[in-house]
Amino acid sequence: MVQFSLPQNSKILKGKYYQDKSGSNNLKKVNVYRWDPSKNENPRIDTFEVNMNECGPKVLDILFKIKNEIDSTLTFRRSCAHGVCGSCAMNVDGVNTLSCTKSHSDIRGELNIYPLPHLKVVKDLVGDLNVLYKQYESVEPWLKTKVGEKTTKEIKQSQSDREKLDGYYECILCACCSTACPSYWWNGDKYLGPAVLLQAYRWINDSRDEDKKERLKKVADELKLYRCHTIMNCTNSCPKGLNPAKAIGSIKKMLATS
Amino acid sequence: MEEKNNPLSPHLQIYRWQISSLLSITHRIVGVINFLAITIICFWSLSLLFGAESYLIINNFLQSFFGKFVAVGLCWTFSFHILNELRHLFWDLGYGFDLKISKITGVLALLGSFVFTILFYLIGKNIF
Repeated sequence: MVQFSLPQNSKILKGKYYQDKSGSNNLKKVNVYRWDPSKNENPRIDTFEVNMNECGPKVLDILFKIKNEIDSTLTFRRSCAHGVCGSCAMNVDGVNTLSCTKSHSDIRGELNIYPLPHLKVVKDLVGDLNVLYKQYESVEPWLKTKVGEKTTKEIKQSQSDREKLDGYYECILCACCSTACPSYWWNGDKYLGPAVLLQAYRWINDSRDEDKKERLKKVADELKLYRCHTIMNCTNSCPKGLNPAKAIGSIKKMLATS
Repeated sequence: MEEKNNPLSPHLQIYRWQISSLLSITHRIVGVINFLAITIICFWSLSLLFGAESYLIINNFLQSFFGKFVAVGLCWTFSFHILNELRHLFWDLGYGFDLKISKITGVLALLGSFVFTILFYLIGKNIF
């Protein structure tokens, strides 16, 4: 049975309040989800007053400012800071996005930052994505060809076949879409989720791949694929502007017409 | 990772509703209501076999304020379900996944359902 409420150990408590010490007149209240694995406590929401006169334009800049100047124990993943690596995916202002590409000036009032939804929290804003990576592995995201002489030669692809991968190869696997999907929340152990299905489609749709039929057969499953009900939360949240809902729709269509 | 008492990050509690997700859950709820409604309507037509008396019971109910509310409500649930199902049919054909288009069709389905409800009501009142 689906559990809509949070389990007892995940109920969120009110946390600390960090008052501004700079005396700035341009403050933003930033509420951040915190959970410390070394303490036996429930997660809490800490509120930081951040001086926006001396802060970069992105949400990630705010997090860095908090970590550098207010509370160095704040934990989050980040790497490239340019929307390429997908490490800093989190829930900002109620929608999953990359904090490094999200401008905080878009958000009025208090800023709420949570980890990606419905994941096991490792610490603070870091969620455990192991299940998703296992599912990614299950779609065999590599080129598969029949073993033979052909494999010693370069497999060429026409420009129009290459263009079929546009809108799919750009996925950086930040998991914003999958963790935005209610179906994935309730059936994340069985349903593959938008990110992995978009990747599956990327390989099904590759003209060089020779395993298309098997790939389709593998993914054609009541739980793996058809738990998608076109809720479109995935497409709404994708920070790269891709369309996982369309990719899933295309797989369904392929199965219906093949 | 070792077994620990790690919490689950909040989901429904914090995720901002989108037009698309709201319409999707409405579609489901309305679908269940319609399923029950059709069952009740079947029993209603069955009860007509028992003659005028049983007809009167249902007629009295439908004349009451609550009865009218239910009738108009069902006009809306059926209108909405049919219009939103059209979106699903187009999705199944591979059209309408574009974010903007899906938002527009969603709003159209919602507005259309209210227009249909008013139309059904007026037709029922013999205004045309």
